Amino acid sequence: MAHFAVSAVGADRPGIVAAVTGVLVDQGCNLEDTSMSILRGHFAMMLLVAGPKGLAPATLEEELGGIAGRFDLVVAVRPIDEAVPASPSGEPWNVAVYGADRPGIVHQVASLLAEAEVNITDLTTRLIGEDGRPVYAMILEVTLPPGLDGDELSSRLETRARELGVECSVHPSEADIL
Amino acid sequence: MVVRPVLRLPEPVLKRRAEPVLRVDDAARALALDLVDTMRASPACVGLAAPQIGVSLRAFVIDVSGHRKARSCHGEVVLLDPEVLVAQDPVHGREGCMSVPDLTGEVARATTLVVRGLTLEGEERVLRVDAFEARAVQHEIDHLDGLLFLDRVSSADAVFRRKVYRQERRLRE
Repeated sequence: MAHFAVSAVGADRPGIVAAVTGVLVDQGCNLEDTSMSILRGHFAMMLLVAGPKGLAPATLEEELGGIAGRFDLVVAVRPIDEAVPASPSGEPWNVAVYGADRPGIVHQVASLLAEAEVNITDLTTRLIGEDGRPVYAMILEVTLPPGLDGDELSSRLETRARELGVECSVHPSEADIL
Repeated sequence: MVVRPVLRLPEPVLKRRAEPVLRVDDAARALALDLVDTMRASPACVGLAAPQIGVSLRAFVIDVSGHRKARSCHGEVVLLDPEVLVAQDPVHGREGCMSVPDLTGEVARATTLVVRGLTLEGEERVLRVDAFEARAVQHEIDHLDGLLFLDRVSSADAVFRRKVYRQERRLRE
């Protein structure tokens, strides 16, 4: 089994998922974890797929060329390691940061998290609001390293958010198992 | 004490509408005991429905004692043939399920709930629950209707990989 990272991005319209996955099925590939969403009017697909041994990434990319042309998609296929790398485990928390848009919000927040060895496991950002009054919203899911508690993270983030002139909140995301 | 294996997706029984119990007999009492024992075997588990141990009958157990999000708390509750009378004030919360061990999801659940069902003594019981206990009851009743939290998540990006599962399993072993 070979594993690939397949990405495809193009102006959103019906049929993109069906077309891309059709080629993958024809090539004997299985979709594993995927994330697909509309980003600023573009449908962005990030797929981790398993394919038959011997299938070259370049071949798969070439096979996707036909529909890439038809749907005007930017497509890339890269090989990835078969082993699933372990993510740092820890307590999961949610972080929300939002406010008037300005350069560097994501970088500033992510840098603070990196310095604290907080691992980002999910991050979504959206540019919203009206023309001339853009609002930036960022929602993160993070895991805390041993020894750092949510309140400590919260106060560090609040300081950084104040410097940036944005709002931020932190709350535990641990699910209840029913 | 009989701890039964908790069935996981894609076991078909999890997606079937369960049959009413109707009569509290030895079989129903044995089922209730197995549900309690199986729930108690997993420290993180606060509720279990009969289909999760492979029995397609309308019975569940919950116990939210000591849970930090609980307000109402009736201790260990076994209810047969439950029926929702009132469900109000939905609030979103993150849930996981022993039958879908790798994922969690954001689900809106009523925070004020009145349910009626049969006790193991064969008597009618009306249960008024709120907050976390209400969430647990609704999650279990969903199991009786063949519904998993995945059928109720608020959006495609409201499903998450459960990250603490491996840790928990290790604790349990």
